[in-house]
Parts: sequence; C-alpha cells; structure tokens
Amino acid sequence: MKDNIVIVGGGIAGMEAARQLLLLGYKPILVEKSDHLGGHVADWHCLFPDMTPAQDVVKGLVEQIKDANIFLETEVSFINRMKMGYNVMFSNGVNVICKAILLATGFDLFEASRKEEYGYGIYDQVMTNRDLERWFNTGDDKRITGKDIKKIGFVHCVGSRDVKAGNQQCSKVCCITAIKQAMEMKERFPDAEVYCFYMDLRLFGKKYEDFYIKAQMESGVHFIRGRVSEVSENMQGQVIIKTEDTLSGKPAKITLDLLVLMAGIVCNKQAVQTASMVQVQTDSDGFLKSKDNILNIIETGSKGVFLAGTATGAKTIPETAAEARAAALAIHNYLVAQS
Amino acid sequence: MIDRFASGFDPFVIPFLIGMAFVLVYCIIGAIRLILQLDAEDKKRFFISLITPKTIWKNLKDLFLNCLIHVKLWKRNRMLGFMHSSIAFGWFMLILLGHIECFIYMPHRVKLFYYPIFFNYFVAENETTIGGSVIFFLMDFFLLLVLTGIVLAIIKRVRSRIFGMRRTTKPSLLDRVGLYSLWLIFPLRLIAESFTAHISGGSFLTIPMNMMFKAFLGDQMNMLPTWWAYSICLCIFMCVLPFTRYMHIPAEMLLIPFRNAGLTIKHARRGFAKAQVYSCPNCGVCIDACPMSVKKANIKDTTVYLNRNIRRGNEKRIEEISDKCLLCGKCTAVCQVGVDGPQMRIAQRSIRNYGLEQDYSGIDITPFKEAVAAEASPDRVLYFAGCMTALTPAISRAMESVFRKAGVDYAFMDKDGGLCCGRPILMAGRFGQARQIIRKNKEIIKASGASTLVLSCPICYKVFREHYKLEGIRVVHHTEYMLELVKAGRLSPDAGSDVLVYHDPCELGRGSGIYEQPRELLRHTGELVEAEQNRDMSICCGGSLGSLTLGFDKREDLTRNALRNLKAGNPETIVTACPLCKTTFAMYSDIPVEDIAETVNKHLK
Repeated sequence: MKDNIVIVGGGIAGMEAARQLLLLGYKPILVEKSDHLGGHVADWHCLFPDMTPAQDVVKGLVEQIKDANIFLETEVSFINRMKMGYNVMFSNGVNVICKAILLATGFDLFEASRKEEYGYGIYDQVMTNRDLERWFNTGDDKRITGKDIKKIGFVHCVGSRDVKAGNQQCSKVCCITAIKQAMEMKERFPDAEVYCFYMDLRLFGKKYEDFYIKAQMESGVHFIRGRVSEVSENMQGQVIIKTEDTLSGKPAKITLDLLVLMAGIVCNKQAVQTASMVQVQTDSDGFLKSKDNILNIIETGSKGVFLAGTATGAKTIPETAAEARAAALAIHNYLVAQS
Repeated sequence: MIDRFASGFDPFVIPFLIGMAFVLVYCIIGAIRLILQLDAEDKKRFFISLITPKTIWKNLKDLFLNCLIHVKLWKRNRMLGFMHSSIAFGWFMLILLGHIECFIYMPHRVKLFYYPIFFNYFVAENETTIGGSVIFFLMDFFLLLVLTGIVLAIIKRVRSRIFGMRRTTKPSLLDRVGLYSLWLIFPLRLIAESFTAHISGGSFLTIPMNMMFKAFLGDQMNMLPTWWAYSICLCIFMCVLPFTRYMHIPAEMLLIPFRNAGLTIKHARRGFAKAQVYSCPNCGVCIDACPMSVKKANIKDTTVYLNRNIRRGNEKRIEEISDKCLLCGKCTAVCQVGVDGPQMRIAQRSIRNYGLEQDYSGIDITPFKEAVAAEASPDRVLYFAGCMTALTPAISRAMESVFRKAGVDYAFMDKDGGLCCGRPILMAGRFGQARQIIRKNKEIIKASGASTLVLSCPICYKVFREHYKLEGIRVVHHTEYMLELVKAGRLSPDAGSDVLVYHDPCELGRGSGIYEQPRELLRHTGELVEAEQNRDMSICCGGSLGSLTLGFDKREDLTRNALRNLKAGNPETIVTACPLCKTTFAMYSDIPVEDIAETVNKHLK
C-alpha cells in the first residue's frame, strides 16, 4: 500500500502502533527525537506487576518494527495541511506527504527541582524515581554508592494532584511505582527502614493491591498518610523531612539517608507545539485534546490526525499499548474510507 | 460701588442659603461624629496636633497643595492635574476675591452670608470704583480658569483615555445630578454676571458678553432668571453633595489633619477609616493599579468599591472585597487622597467573629531558645529565615554561605523549625493570636544575645520592624545586610555580565520603603535593567498571603501579567528578594528566577 503514515514519537505507543500498521500492510514512518527507541520505559529497570525487565519489552517491540522507516534524533520541523493530507518536514531534511499522522508524543516527567521545598538539586541525598531506576540499571549513583543507607523515604505525588505545581491531574502510575521501588530498595538494603508518604493510594490495576499488601506484610514498608511539607538537611548530609501523620493526627519529623521523589507525569511541552501545527489543542488538563473523551479518545478535531498513549494523559504500559493498537485500526479504517 | 437695593436682598438667594445651610450642618455634624468616634488616645493626639505649630503649618500646606492645587494629580497626569486644580483653585479664588471685593467696597454687607457670592447683582459701579478693575479682571480670569476645567471635565467624561485612565467607576444617579449641577454652576454664573456687567462692572469676559446680549436680546428681563438659575444650581449641588462622590471635597479637609496627627486605622467603620471612605473621590485610579484587575477580572473588588459599599452599608460585599484583596498596597500608592486600602481591609477582617479562636500561648519554645542561646554580643547576628524560606531552601543555604564567607558570627533561629512571624495572622485581622506569637518569638530573640536580626522574607521583615519593638536589636532585611557587608569590604562579589531585572516585593518596597539597597547590591553582580512598572508601582507577583479567598487558579493571570511587566527590558534572570515572589514567578517564568541572596552568593569566591 502506498499511503504514507507518520508516527511522531518512538515510545511504547509509537512502536506498538507501528507494529500493528506493519501487520496491516502499511509502511509507517516513525520519528523519534532521542537516539533510541522506547521512550521513558527504556530508562526503566523492572515493570510492575510481574517485575518484567523493561529492556525485554522495549527490545521485543524494536525487533518487530524493523521494517518501518525509523528516523532517530529527528524532530518534526513543520506540518502543512494539504487538500488530501499533510506535508511533513523533518529536521533531517526529509519531506513526506502523508494521509495520516499519529501523535504518540508521550509525556514529560515533572521537573522535581520546581518543588523547591523538597530540595531536589539542593540537598545531596534527594533523587527522583527516574534517578533510582537509572541506579537499578547502572549501579552508579553517588547518592547511593558507598553510602550507608539506613532510612529511605518515598514522597508520592510530586508535581501531581498539586495545583501549586501547575498540575492537578493524578499521574496514575506513581503509587504503584513507589511501592515497587520501595520493595526493590528493601531487597537491596534489608536492614533499612523504608517509608512511603502518600495522600491516597490509588491501586486500581491488575495485581496492584497484591503488591501493596506484599509491601506491608513481607517487605515491611511503612506507609504514612500525609504530605511532606518541607525538607531540610543536617550537618551529616542527611535529609530531615517534616510531615503530618494524618491518621494519628500528629506531626512527624524523620531523618532519612535517602529521599526519593515520585515525579509525576505532565504533558510533553514539545508535543503541544507539534500538535498546534495540525490544529490540535490542549484540553483543560494540559494534555492533548481528543475528539471525545469517552468513545473517541484516539481521534482529534483535525482530519487524519490521531492520538495514542500518554499524550492525552497518564497511562500504564498496557493501556498505552491497547490505545496504540486502537489507533492503528482507526488509521486503517480512515485510509480505507478515504480511498 | 453703591448698593442697588436698599434691602440688600432678593428672594433668589434663598435656594443658595438653603443649600449652604444644609451642607454646612451636615458636614459639621459629620466631622464631630468622626472625631468623637476616635478612641481616647487618638482624640488626644488629634487635639494636640491642632495646637502644635508644626502640624498646623503642615495641615495648611497639605490642604493648599492637595485640596486646591492637587500636586499629586499633576505628577500622575498633567491634564488631570490641570483639570482639578483649575476647578478647585479657581473656585476657591472666586470665593476669596468675592469676599475681598465685599470687604473693600461694601464692608457693611459683609455680615450677609450670600452677599459676596451674588455681589455683582447687588452693586452698581460708580466713578470711585475704577481702582477695582484689577479685581474685576481677576474675577473674570478665575472664572475663565474654572470654565476651562469644566470643559476638560466634559471631555474626560467622553474620552477618559486622554487623561491616562483606562477604567473608571460608573457614577451613580445622584453622582450624575451632582456632576451636571457642578458643570452648570459656572456657565450660569458667567451668563448672570454678564447680564449685570453694565451695572456692576466687569472685565474682559463679562463686558463683551454683556454687549453681545444687549445686541441680540436687548431685554433686561433675562437678568433675574439667570441669577435664580445660578442660585438653584448651587443649591442642588450642595444638597446632593453629602450623598455623592463630591463628599470628598469637605471630607479631605478632615482627613488631612487626621493623618498629620499620626492616627492609624483602629476600626474599619469609624473615625479615621470613615474619613478615608468619605474622602474617596471615586476616581477609579485604583482599578487600573490593582493587580487583580488584569483581564478585566475583579474590578468590583478594588478599593474604590470597598469605599462605595461601606458608604452604602452593603455588608456582604464589604466582607467579600475585604477578604479577596492581596494587600499589595498599590491602590494606596496611586491614591490621590491616600486611602489606605490594605489597612482598611485588615481592620474590617478584625471585627469579624470567628467561630474558633486558636490559642498559641501554650507552645513550648524552650528548645528553640536553647538552640540559639548565647552571651549578648554586639557582633552576633541572628538569622530568621521564616516559613516561606523553609519552602525555598536555596535561599537560606545561600544566606548561610554568605554569612560564612563574610565571617559573620551567626545563629540560625529557625533552622530546626520555629514559629511563624505573625504577619499572616495579622493580615487575617486576628490581632490577639498575632500578639501571642510575637511574644514567643521575642523571647527566643532576646535569648540569642544577638544585636542584629537578619530576615530573608519581607513578610517577616515588616512585622518584625513594626510590631516587635526589639529594643537594642537592629532588624534588617538580607538585602540591606548584604549591602552593608559589601560596603564594609567583608564581601566582594565579582562583577558578572548577566542582565538582571529586580522585582520589588510588595512588603519590602511599598511596605517597608526599601527600593535602593537591592539595586545597589545587584549592580555589583551584573547589569541591571528596570521593569516597565517598578519601585512603588511594582506589580504584585500574585502569590501574596494577604488574600483569604482568591483561589490559586485565579492567580495565574496576575503572575503572568507581572512577569510580562518584568521582562520589558529583556533580562536574562529575574531577581527578587522574597521567597514567596520567587516561588510564584518560578511557576510560570520561562527565564530563571532567583533570590538576591542566591545571586550574590554565586558571585562570591
């Protein structure tokens, strides 16, 4: 088939959509701004709920989309609307005329340094969920390597459900990620006390609740309901957090050797720019706007432009993959109807 | 000059007399009521000021400069200044010259209240009056001046933008009655005096008009009706005056002595506060100034509407307006009569009955005292970061680094937690609770043996300076302190090439009058550009603790507007001296935002 399809973003959504489109007989063009495929998941270590290595998931997908046209380290320079489709110009100089565009642009991780009160970038022993996954992968982080870690704290909802941080949405995956990481840390530092400071625990997914029970019963992770208000540092370089245990109604002050911030999911700023080239606006939650938020989350107000994955809001990997497959089908149906 | 009528009376003066009597009685009773509403201490202060030569002189000077010449308005917009001073000063001179005329030519009539006002009707010119032509000239001159002002006022009604005002208030029905009668008074006076100019004498304006009237009308019968119309217009204006915005004319004459006596607002609806309410001319300058009014929002929550609703007794709106305000003080900075919007609102908040009265007297401060305790020393510095700085640890870390690099012997009062400075609760009008906190903090400070208290947060700084009364302890904001260290040679920041803009925090600038020190300090570290509106015209960042009800989602437009203002000179970095401004700006700014302590620390070796 000669219909060109451009997929913007080589994360889970982009790759899964490309895989499905290849199976349907198309040869999609996939552009990815970084030098590798896999998006955020490529930086991760293990995935809940079965501790699947993230690399296996990414590699599996990469293997299956070899036949697609893949441009790495390439961005969309501009898109012109034409009578029968779009003219897309890439930053590598390639110019494509296509009938459908899939925006699988994903998310940005909230910049934890913007919550200055948590001291990321100011205090030595503060890191983010991504930093911790990187350490799981590389084993190299001066905050952990060679340190005597006795107490670890996880702060949930950093930059999510926080009007002051400019993002009121729930990032969906941080609760379970924190529990996963807490348990992984407990395995690596069996003598350490591990605390999770949460507002709510939103454990909606398959086997998430089991994870939570296991974390409490087997791993002995302490769950404290209360938002961390401020963080300071002592002479030994440890961090001191202030919070309130809202279940007992008492203020608490805990000295920790390591503080992990669960940075949330916010809309990809660059994606907003790309989307505006094809007249796709942002919804009131800051993410890209679908045609309809119940039955038509894939389509947009612009003909031939489709969405998949976290570009429209926080999602888990299975959800993203399902949406990508739906998007591939929607594109196929659209192209069939066109010809 | 001779009397035209032996009685020296004509019925047309009656409307004027009624109006005059009404407005005088109303204002005198009102003034007495406001004075009686002052508390004993303020009353004493007020009466003493009335007999102190220094304040008497200041009162006279302020009355002349503000009520007649409107100096402040001239500074704001020359057209606006000219319009007001031509009407006020011109009218005043007409009254004054009328009395002088009467004194010179008709001394036996001076006791008649109305005589100087309608002088030209009651007298006839004779040979002995030639020397009076100077006064006749002046009378016509000032009448012309007032008429020019009236023409400008009419133009302003139609096109207020010429006068530098974007938005203004809508006049009420009575305001309109007052306005139109005021506009009519002077043209009528001109016509009336022109009709009698061949009898009473006149000058360059009235004589030619008299000739013109004679040529066109040739009828003496028009004389009396125009004098009646003039008198009736005066009557209408004076009768509606107490119920219109024009009440600001007499009220300001009381407000100025009140202010010069050093009174402060003690009760939101009585005494000094009430004098401010009545002094509000409803000009609406505060609408354009209010940071909340960006994108035409919250216009009805500005100080002018607070005053209007207090006069109308609309309790629901008074509460809403009082609670919403950010207390940034810009309305006061632009106000021509000096209505203190923030203080009025705090006072209003303080008379509310709260369901729950917190008690902070039981807080144990022993550990805080022990942590800082030391022998008293003139070199010892106590650093209080405050709650807002606890949320922006980069600032307190920078300050600690500055202290170390300058070799300062310091103690960090709230490093391991501490008490609030009391300002937020003071802003909420809960004075009793604020006093409890202040007392506790004072004990800790006294125990520290420090002679200088350094603060990072302007919110704390203002309350420490104004409410703590720390005898023997100097209270300084870190901008002042770091500049002192630089001047003393204890810090030598290396000059950089960054282009910086300084944002004046409300509580540090308008609140405490510190504008120059931070700028001087920043000139040591980089190139300083200015915002479009700066210093006392600086725009609140939108993060203020002052508002009790303005939602977080409603503040984004305010912050973005303030950022736009700051970026006028294309700076690379925004520097401020308030942790709250820093946090607020950082949320929406696309260029870095930092505290002055961080900027200075970066430039130290």
